[in-house]
Amino acid sequence: MELDYILNSTIALLKGFKVTYGLFFSTLIFSLPLGLLIALARISRYKVLQVFTGTYIWLLRGTPLLLQVFFVYFGLPALGITLNNMTAAILAFALNYAAYFAEIFRSGIQSISKGQYESADVLGLTYAQTMRRIIIPQMVKRVLPPVSNEVITLVKDTALVFGIGLLDVLRTAQIIVTRDFDITAFIIAAIFYLLNTAVLTFVFRKLEQRYSYYTI
Amino acid sequence: MSILKVRNISKQFKNLEVLKGIDLEVEKGEVIAIIGPSGSGKSTLLRCLIRLETIDRGSIEVDGKPMVTEGSDGRSVYASEQDIRILRRKMGMVFQNFNLFPHKSVLENIIEAPIIVNGLSREKAESIADQLLQKVGLTDKRHNYPCELSGGQQQRVAIASALAMNPDIMLFDEPTSALDPELTGEVLRVIKTLAEAHMTMLVVTPDMGFAKEVANRVIFMDNGVIIEQGTPEDVFERTQHPRTKAFLGQILRS
Repeated sequence: MELDYILNSTIALLKGFKVTYGLFFSTLIFSLPLGLLIALARISRYKVLQVFTGTYIWLLRGTPLLLQVFFVYFGLPALGITLNNMTAAILAFALNYAAYFAEIFRSGIQSISKGQYESADVLGLTYAQTMRRIIIPQMVKRVLPPVSNEVITLVKDTALVFGIGLLDVLRTAQIIVTRDFDITAFIIAAIFYLLNTAVLTFVFRKLEQRYSYYTI
Repeated sequence: MSILKVRNISKQFKNLEVLKGIDLEVEKGEVIAIIGPSGSGKSTLLRCLIRLETIDRGSIEVDGKPMVTEGSDGRSVYASEQDIRILRRKMGMVFQNFNLFPHKSVLENIIEAPIIVNGLSREKAESIADQLLQKVGLTDKRHNYPCELSGGQQQRVAIASALAMNPDIMLFDEPTSALDPELTGEVLRVIKTLAEAHMTMLVVTPDMGFAKEVANRVIFMDNGVIIEQGTPEDVFERTQHPRTKAFLGQILRS
């Protein structure tokens, strides 16, 4: 009956979790550290690094994510590199999100007052020690809001990978809807994404609370 | 032997010459108050001493060792990074805006450099920190965070942090200027204690009363040059230079 159908559809949608969450977590694991490295390179005193990372950020923020996914999956084989669709998706997503995170991290770092650097400097800390122990920890607190934005967007961006034949939650829902002429699966998919966002919002709020032990 | 020898240093920021040939010799144990109108180069002088800024001309010698020497073409040549690092360690600096690390507790602020830079064990660093906290009167604030402290308390923590690295010279860049008047006393008291223990100090301050009470030399700077210097009595009571007189007159009027 109606409830049975909803239940069965939901179970069917769960198959899409593997792709959706696999991509979600893999992207974060790679793009967050990469984004930090790019941010540090972007503000380094070496002009070469500045220009290189600036160009990278422009290219990856300046073209659609879906296009980048296509480039990696369909384009790389021309260079002799053939990746399966999941690996291609993770690569494209990680490179793309790293660019966004890089700008977020850079703004967080640059919002920290010069006095912090000077204080660390006169105490004898090296640049690396200052970044690692003084600046980046403070940056984390500042970038939580914009990072939460990106992370929430990421869950929904994962839907793009149907373009290279991956069966994520949305694609699976679409198949069910087309097969059954019934939009119930779309509604379940929507609820799935909403629940995700609710959980992520909760997690980030907890993180912000954790960092509220000190003010700027 | 002087602990600081500054010869004819000049410094330019873009088109503005901020230091125009400053000569200064500081003996161990001297407490020098540097006074003058804003823009006179007082802070810049301090910052050049501890290499937060670089000079364009002249030389600076710390404890007999050159930090920067005058090159053959008149321009300053800095020593190697390693040598500069060693010389900078002999100095501690306290800033107008405290510049404490907000994400670390009072104790963590003070032990940070001793552990990370000097390689001390946590126990050793904590015991030094506790001694210093007692010295500045903040033992009960050990585990508080800077945002929970008043300005005067934060500045005292900043002083303790600088002292934890055992400097020979302490530089104070307007230590009380960002504080409410009621809070300046507690900071000045700490500085006075250091003076009584014969710590070599250079204090940029607008507080003439403090200069009179604690300093054994007062230097008046205006427009990048030292106009007049001497004992507090020399500068405040037996003022020689008209510009000094004008400046002091202004201060007294306000």
